[in-house]
Amino acid sequence: MHAGRRMTSLLTDALVGARFLSVWIATGALLLVARIIAPEALQSTSWSFVLPYMTVLAIAALGQMLVIMHAGIDLSTPGVMFLGGYLIVGVGNHSNSRLWIAILACLGLGVLVGLINGILVGILRLNPLIVTLAVGQIVVAEGLRYANGLAEAEVPSRLSSFAQNRPLDISAVFWTGAAITVAVALLLRYTAPGRRFQAVGANPRAAWMAGVHVRTHVVFAYTAAGALYALAAVLLAAIRVSVDPAFGASYLLAPIAAVVIAGASLSGGLASATSTWVAAFALTLLNQMLIILGIRVGWQFIVFGAAIIVGMLISGDRIASLLGRLLRPRAAPTRIASGVEQNTG
Amino acid sequence: MQVPKVSEGRRWRLGVSVTLVVVALFVVAAALGSTSSTKSAGSTKASAKGGYGEVYKADPKILAKTLFKATLLPPRGMSRNIALAAYGRASKKVNFNLALKCWKNDGCKTGTKGKLTVAYVEPFGENVYRHISKMEFILQALTYKSIGRIIYKSAHSNPTQALTDFRAVIAQGADAIVSYPDFGDAAIPVFREATRRHIPVVTYAWGYVSGPGKNYTAVVGENVCKLGRAYARIMNKYVKSGEIAFMGGFPGNPLSAGWQKCERPALNKSIKVVAAEPTNWDASKVQQVVSGILAAHPKIKGWSYEYGLGMAQGAFQAYKAARKPFNAVLTLRTDDVGMGCKTRALRNPKLKVYYYTAGNSQIRVALTAAMMKLKGAKIPPKIVFPIQLQNEAKRTQCVKGYPQEASATSLVPLKLLHRMYP
Repeated sequence: MHAGRRMTSLLTDALVGARFLSVWIATGALLLVARIIAPEALQSTSWSFVLPYMTVLAIAALGQMLVIMHAGIDLSTPGVMFLGGYLIVGVGNHSNSRLWIAILACLGLGVLVGLINGILVGILRLNPLIVTLAVGQIVVAEGLRYANGLAEAEVPSRLSSFAQNRPLDISAVFWTGAAITVAVALLLRYTAPGRRFQAVGANPRAAWMAGVHVRTHVVFAYTAAGALYALAAVLLAAIRVSVDPAFGASYLLAPIAAVVIAGASLSGGLASATSTWVAAFALTLLNQMLIILGIRVGWQFIVFGAAIIVGMLISGDRIASLLGRLLRPRAAPTRIASGVEQNTG
Repeated sequence: MQVPKVSEGRRWRLGVSVTLVVVALFVVAAALGSTSSTKSAGSTKASAKGGYGEVYKADPKILAKTLFKATLLPPRGMSRNIALAAYGRASKKVNFNLALKCWKNDGCKTGTKGKLTVAYVEPFGENVYRHISKMEFILQALTYKSIGRIIYKSAHSNPTQALTDFRAVIAQGADAIVSYPDFGDAAIPVFREATRRHIPVVTYAWGYVSGPGKNYTAVVGENVCKLGRAYARIMNKYVKSGEIAFMGGFPGNPLSAGWQKCERPALNKSIKVVAAEPTNWDASKVQQVVSGILAAHPKIKGWSYEYGLGMAQGAFQAYKAARKPFNAVLTLRTDDVGMGCKTRALRNPKLKVYYYTAGNSQIRVALTAAMMKLKGAKIPPKIVFPIQLQNEAKRTQCVKGYPQEASATSLVPLKLLHRMYP
């Protein structure tokens, strides 16, 4: 009996580990390739761009990850980042003393938009793809209206100075992002609310039967995601120093790509914050490599798109499913607590 | 067959007559020649003529502000007259309160009870540059008593929406339409539709939609190929030899493609273009591109691009992050205040910045051309402004009182600008 449980536990660990291992291996391979064909991508000039910008993508992707864990999707990211960036400028009004109010306003916006998304998706059961896109459009429209009244686009100098700090010779933005990623990972893995959050994502019906408020968790997922997008906007504004109409526009699909490549399934379930962080790093580095290699623009899009497709093909979700089929004892199929979908057939 | 004989006296009189006619023709030709040379010399005083409801005369101060020099007016007769008429109107007094209301509400009734409706269809629309163009359009429209209604539409970079907007203003009864050619030839179907309905359509500033004079009335702007050659002259003079890079806007956009195609062959053979990357006119992307190219080509000496402020926001950050001094020659299309101020703040004599003009006021020329067309004028299909790059070290773009994203060559009065952006 004990041996059987141990076997099941080992199998679970193997499946969960394999799910997120592929992105680490792929990133290692990418670094190796970069070292051979584009060593400039691994030099300090390149890192000075890659590390801060990958952090912004990683934070936005963490937000998206919380939503995807609950089989949702959030397309309001660019809207939140766009208006959030302009709030930093407008509320901050070039005054360092107003910086904290500006950051709070930005975070407040993220929470508000996330809450609206959460209520519409989690309680009113509307389609997240359509709803979050629509809410995002409304937020962009409000952002445009707000931006119309702003003459200047620069953020308070203390925020931009923060981004230029380099503890251990690496951007402070990077360290901030790394700390947030670790915090999210620890919260999800080692706290009771985090475990409940994962359980709802893995199997909402089972979680509901266990007495967990599923809808509340879905609303919370979108709300927390909104806050993380706002945080990404703060960091992007710090790096960029100023805000323009293209601010945040490139964060519609990239965070989703990072989450999926990191091993999460769009149908919900487990996800890893650290793997998402690694995927964001890989995507940003790949983008930078393509520029350094001087590849024609059309080919850049093709290579980048192909890399995402390959990333999805070897993503943990598929590997976990494959391993599950290969390793699972045929005689006694076991429902795994992680919530990985059983394809015993 | 007998040829009739001509007497000596008649032959002499014929010779004198022919000589007199030839001399008279020379005198007329010389007189005409002197008139045209006076026009092309750029004297605005000499152009105090008019027609089609316009006076071909502009305040030299207005010309100096928006075109650096009056000689940068279009050189050809009618093009020049339209430009003079348009800039002449910029001196007229208009109701700023009404202009501001119109600007904030995306259109208005002018209160003149004029029968005409004019529309500005903006495919992109949402940056300070375009907002200022919108105000220039409104201010120009308010100088016409015949215009009773102003319509403004912005598609927020959505090509489908831009075409829908265009059709919508036709349906709303627009008598003249001004637009910005952001999406190039994609606009041809709607431009043709307006032309079929005898609605003048004029585009302004950079970019190009094929078939001006046929598919639509006219394009107002500079010759982007000449812009590329002007860039090349600066690079040849100050970079001399070594590596430079091109940056552009959206992949395949006609503006970037236009100047890049002409700059490349005009460069010294010792100058190598190591990259030509799109940036979507997004400062983050500029930072990424500059950072990437800088990593691969640390000795890069020059950058050609259009968007001055994007360069300031992205490239300055990239150099700073890479801890490299910004020793480079920059050739840029726009004259954004922010670019000038950031360059000044850097105090690096090895950073040489050359720029042209944002061309906000070209929208005035576009509207005036459309209005003249309505009065029966024959509008040249291309109203082309000459190009002369300015040296930041000698004529700074950093003008006090202007927003960082604005262009000091705009003709929106500073007082009004401050009310637009309190």
